[in-house]
Amino acid sequence: MALTRTAPGRARTARARPPAPAASGWRRRRDAVGLLFALPALVLFAAFAIYPMLRVFQLSLYDYNLTSPPVWVGLDNFTFLFGDDRFLASLGASLFYVVVTYGPAVLLALVLALGLNTRMRGSAFVRLMYFAPVATSWVAVSVIWRLVLQPEGLLNQTLNTDIPWLTSSTWAKWAIAIAAIWKEVGFFLIIFLAGLQNIPKDLQEAAALDGAGSLRRLRYVTLPLLKPISVVVLVMAVIRGFQSFSPQVVLTGGSFGTEVINLFVYKTAFASARMGRASAVAVLMFVLLLMVTFVQLRALRRSA
Amino acid sequence: MSARPRARTVLIPALALLAVAAGCGSDDGGGSTGEGDQIELTYWTHTHPPMTELNEQLIAEYEEANPNVKITYETIPNNDFGTKMLTSLSNGSGPDIINMDDSALRGEYIPKDLLAPIDPAAFGAGSVEELEGRYVDGTLDGAKGDDSTLYGVPSEFNATAFAINTQHFADAGLDPASPPATWDDVAEYGQQLVAAGHEGFNFVYLHSGWYTQQLQTLLNETGGSILTEDGTGSALTEPESVEALQIWYDLIREDQVGDADTASREATSPFEDFASGRRSMTMIYPWAVEQIAIDNPETFENLAVVPLPQVDPANPSGRWYGYYFAVNKASEQQEEAWKFIEYMTSQHERWLSDVSFVQPLKDWEQSPAAADIPFIDVWSQAYQQGKFDEVGPHWSEVQDAIKAAVERSIFDGQPPAESLEEASESVEQSVTS
Repeated sequence: MALTRTAPGRARTARARPPAPAASGWRRRRDAVGLLFALPALVLFAAFAIYPMLRVFQLSLYDYNLTSPPVWVGLDNFTFLFGDDRFLASLGASLFYVVVTYGPAVLLALVLALGLNTRMRGSAFVRLMYFAPVATSWVAVSVIWRLVLQPEGLLNQTLNTDIPWLTSSTWAKWAIAIAAIWKEVGFFLIIFLAGLQNIPKDLQEAAALDGAGSLRRLRYVTLPLLKPISVVVLVMAVIRGFQSFSPQVVLTGGSFGTEVINLFVYKTAFASARMGRASAVAVLMFVLLLMVTFVQLRALRRSA
Repeated sequence: MSARPRARTVLIPALALLAVAAGCGSDDGGGSTGEGDQIELTYWTHTHPPMTELNEQLIAEYEEANPNVKITYETIPNNDFGTKMLTSLSNGSGPDIINMDDSALRGEYIPKDLLAPIDPAAFGAGSVEELEGRYVDGTLDGAKGDDSTLYGVPSEFNATAFAINTQHFADAGLDPASPPATWDDVAEYGQQLVAAGHEGFNFVYLHSGWYTQQLQTLLNETGGSILTEDGTGSALTEPESVEALQIWYDLIREDQVGDADTASREATSPFEDFASGRRSMTMIYPWAVEQIAIDNPETFENLAVVPLPQVDPANPSGRWYGYYFAVNKASEQQEEAWKFIEYMTSQHERWLSDVSFVQPLKDWEQSPAAADIPFIDVWSQAYQQGKFDEVGPHWSEVQDAIKAAVERSIFDGQPPAESLEEASESVEQSVTS
C-alpha cells in the first residue's frame, strides 16, 4: 500500500517517519519474518538437493557397495572411468542423443514458432496440440512410440519399409531421437513464442517501411532480438539431453547402443551396487555440463 | 474482521487438528499395548499372475488361522525386481520375506550378508541337516553360501524341457511323436514349420537374466562356461563357449527358424509367442505350462512337453534354477517370517497342482498332485540332469555383457566369436574390479 501512495501522502509519511533506529528494527523484524516463512523451503532444499549433491561428491572418492562401510579410494573411480569402454560408449550415446535430437528439435521449434506467431484463427489450438506431448509423461510417450516403431508398426507401414527400429544398433538410436523430437519440439516452441511476442512490433514495421522483406526482417530484426531466448533454449536443450533416461529404458532398455549416461549411472549404482563409481560418473557429468554451458554462454555473448 | 476473530478462525481448526492427531497417537499406543502380539510381515515376489493368485489365497488362509498376523504382499515388475530388492535389502528397508532366484541369492544376497540363516525349528526339524534330508539331493544348493549355510527353501524349482505345438507339427507334416532330439533337428524341423506358416523356434528376448540363462543352457550342453574354473576370469572365448552362441546364431540368422526382431518382449508373459499360437517350439519350464493354459487353452490342448534338444544326446545335460523363500537379516520378525514360510512350503501339493511349481521334496513325482501334471515323465527326467547357473562378482554386469554379445550376434549379425571377444573383456573387467 505504501508504494502506491501519492506524493503528498509520501510527504506526510516522511514527516511521520519514526526515528531511524526504530525503522531499521522494523526492517530487521520484517526480514526475520520473511526468513521464517522461507525456512521450511530452504530446509527442504538443503536436505533434498544440497546435501545429496555434496554426498555424491564425497562418495565419488570411495568404494561403497551399500552393505559394507565405504572405503577411501581417492581418484581411482575417475581413473577407472576414463578407461572403461562402457562408460565411454554411454557418453557417446548421450552425445549422439543430444545432437541428433535437440539440434533438429530446436530448429523445428523456431520455424514453427515463427509460423505460429500470427493472429490467425485456431492458432491457439495448434499451439496446444504442439504442447500436448510436452505435458504427457515420457513413459506414456515411450509406450506409444514403442507401438509405432514395432516391425509392423505405423512408421514402417507409412514409410513402406521393414526397418527393425528398436532391435538394431544401426537404427535404435535414431528411433529414440525421432520419438524425442516429437516430444520435445513443443517445449522449445512455447519458449520461442514467448520470446517472439516480446519483440516490439514497431521495429518490424520500421524495417518494413525501410524496404526490408520478410527474410531480411527475420535475419536483421527477429533473430538478433531472439538471441537471449536462444541462449536459454540451447542451454536447456543440452541439459535436458544429457538428463535423458526414460525413453531409453522403455524403448530399448539401453540395448543397441542406447545406454545413455543416466542409465549407466542407474545400473552402476543400483544393479551393480557400485555407488562410488556411479557417483564419480555423476560428478563428471556435472563438471562436463557446467563447462558446456559456460562455453555456450561465452560463445553466444561474443557473437552478440 | 478484528484480529481476535481472525486468530480464532486459524487457531480453532489448528487445535482441532492437533487434537485429532493426538487422539490418533493415543489410539495407536493403546492398540499396540492391548494387542501386544500383533505381527506385521511384508512379503515381496516378482510378477507371475498364477503365482500371485495362489500367494494371495495362501496369505488369506494364514491370516485367518493366525488373526494376530497381517501380511502385506507386494509384487514387483520383473524388470525392476532384482534392482529394487537388492537396494531395499541393502539399506535395511526391505521386506521381511523374499522370494528370489538362486543366482541373485548366491551372487549378491548371501555374499553381502543380507539374509538370515534358516531356522529349522520353524519347520519342525531338529537340525538343518534333518530339514535338508526332506529335499531331493542338491536342490537346496541354490540357497547356500560358500560355507554351506542354508538361507532358504524352494518356492519353485525348475528344470528345462522343450515345448512343441502338435497342431503346427501336423500342419508341417511332422510327427509330434518324433520331436527334435538335437539342435540340428530343431533347425530342420523349424524350417519346415516356417514353410507351413509358423515361426519354427525362437529364444526369449527379455532382460539380461533371460539372455544369460538361455546361453547357460547351451553352455551346459557344449561344455563351455562364462567364467574360468577359479571364477577370476572370462571363459567366453573358449571354443566350447563360442559354440553355444554359434548354435543360437545359426538357428536364427542362418537357418532362419525364427525372427528375433518380432519376438514378444513382455516380461510378465515370457512365452506369449508360443501361447498365442505364433511359435511352434520353445524351451520351457514347469511354471510356464500353467500360464500357457490360462493365456490360450487352444494352444494348451496342442502342447506337448518333450526333452530338451541336445548337442550330444548320448550325454544329455540340462539347467536347474530355483526361487527360494528367504528372510531378510534386518527383519525384526524372523521367527514369524519362517513360520509363514513353513506354511507356504507345507502347501507343496497346491503349488504343484494350481501353478505347476515343483517344490522338490523327496519323491515329489509320486505325490497325488504330480500324477495330474501333464508330461510328468519328461519333467522327472529333466530334474535328473540339471545344474545351477554360474555366478560371480558383479554378476549383473556380467549378464549385461552377455546380453550385449547376444544382441550383437543375433540382431546385428556380428559373428559369435567376435561378439564374445568383446563380452569377454567386459566380463574380465567386471569380475576383477
